[in-house]
Amino acid sequence: MPFLSHGSYRIRYELDGPADAPAYVLVNGLTQYAELWTAYRDALVARRFRVATFDLLGQGESDKPALFISQDDQVAALHLLIQEVGDGPVFLSGISFGGLIALRYAVAHGGRLAGLVPMSCFAELPPQLFLLGNALRTGLILGGTSYLQDLLLPMNVSDQWLAPVLDKLDSVKRQGWLVNDVYALQNLMESFLDFQPLTPQLPSIGIPTMILNGEFDFLTPRALHETLRVQIPNSSLVIIPRAYHAFTLEKPALTADLLARFAEDVLAERWQGNKTVWIAPDEAGGDLVPFPTGYDHLRAVPVQGAIA
Amino acid sequence: MSAFFGPLDSDGRVPARQQTRVASFLISAHGALGRRFALALPLRLESAWQTELNAQFYNESEIVSLLLRATRWMPDLALGYLAAAWETAWFPAAADGIPDHALALAVDLATLAHAIHAGIRPAALLPVEANANDPFVMALRRVEFESGRLLQAQIIFLKGESLVPFRDAVSAALERRHAEVRKLWREILEGIDVSSDENGLKS
Repeated sequence: MPFLSHGSYRIRYELDGPADAPAYVLVNGLTQYAELWTAYRDALVARRFRVATFDLLGQGESDKPALFISQDDQVAALHLLIQEVGDGPVFLSGISFGGLIALRYAVAHGGRLAGLVPMSCFAELPPQLFLLGNALRTGLILGGTSYLQDLLLPMNVSDQWLAPVLDKLDSVKRQGWLVNDVYALQNLMESFLDFQPLTPQLPSIGIPTMILNGEFDFLTPRALHETLRVQIPNSSLVIIPRAYHAFTLEKPALTADLLARFAEDVLAERWQGNKTVWIAPDEAGGDLVPFPTGYDHLRAVPVQGAIA
Repeated sequence: MSAFFGPLDSDGRVPARQQTRVASFLISAHGALGRRFALALPLRLESAWQTELNAQFYNESEIVSLLLRATRWMPDLALGYLAAAWETAWFPAAADGIPDHALALAVDLATLAHAIHAGIRPAALLPVEANANDPFVMALRRVEFESGRLLQAQIIFLKGESLVPFRDAVSAALERRHAEVRKLWREILEGIDVSSDENGLKS
């Protein structure tokens, strides 16, 4: 298992796929670990991508700084990993907390990237997300990792995903509980205590950017993704039907297919962002369709309205 | 070497040899914290924060009491020299780089408590087959859960305003305490055929 060194800390990573291929670098969400990308690794390697996954500082098998983990350190660790994948085109994608780190990376080192895919992501903390984050942190403090998982699961995945595992939730949660420590998760959450909105810096992201947002994302709803779409010049917003915040766990085949198609389009110079809004297919390989003209994609009911 | 306790007996209980060694270590560590909190605790509380000292003292005492009663003990000749090494490691050592000696000792106590509460996860070593109704299994889960709560006082103190000027010294002291405690814990586990598995995911 290879490790990168960032100061005195070690970052566990994995590289798969042909060394001369374009690379996808995938960044975990808050309570995740690198193995959760296994389906993506397999699907993307099969489509001739090199795939890099890793545990953020404070997660899984990477070192867990005892008291402070800054988001700048996460960006620096990501930079080390991207240097490791070589000189070819690099596509960067991350979910939720990992999406924010990917955005920060694109602001700081956009020239190194061929494309960016923020998923279930945000650039600012409006009151709902701020208070939800605080409540989740309190849940972690009072009830431990297991209780945090109990709060996140019903928020972030569908009834269809939960129903078959309802009587074995402990085993679903076990790996995440084993590899993540309370103090390290708390440090990751407390890296938001001095958070400054990224919104003013988003226009500096000049690379092709596909923003993925679950139709029913409760934690980071459409409006947060709309900020990215409006502010990032060469972006498009793709809505994943019937998906929640953690659609990368629930719909890996569809999401991996969207990632591969985005990168293939960018490399073939077919990609046109134009701040457009799309609806993803239900299954991998289906067609993306444009969001119906004249309807407001920020509403849950078919209201006709102006689109920025 | 396994990543978990075992092999379990037919009732899903952790072997007595492993119970004895792990409980001894935890009693030594939490007992040391309890003693140091007791020494820092005045007879009459004069500041609000001292209520937390009181809580920490009694919670540490509860952990020691619980493990004494929940463990299936067996003779272990190695415990004599092991305990001596553990007790030496818990000695106060004022944190470097903090001129106020009393504050440096308080930082040392907080870093030791942080390392023990955050760095030792005994429940994570229980296999899924462990009997949830066994007192030792329940005790380890309780120790880990309560440690997560006790830890909050250390986090608040170590991240607090009063220590901002000494942030580097605090971080260095904390990382040192974590490394010490992690090393002792790893050695204990290796001695009972459990791998701390720092380089591989448990499954």
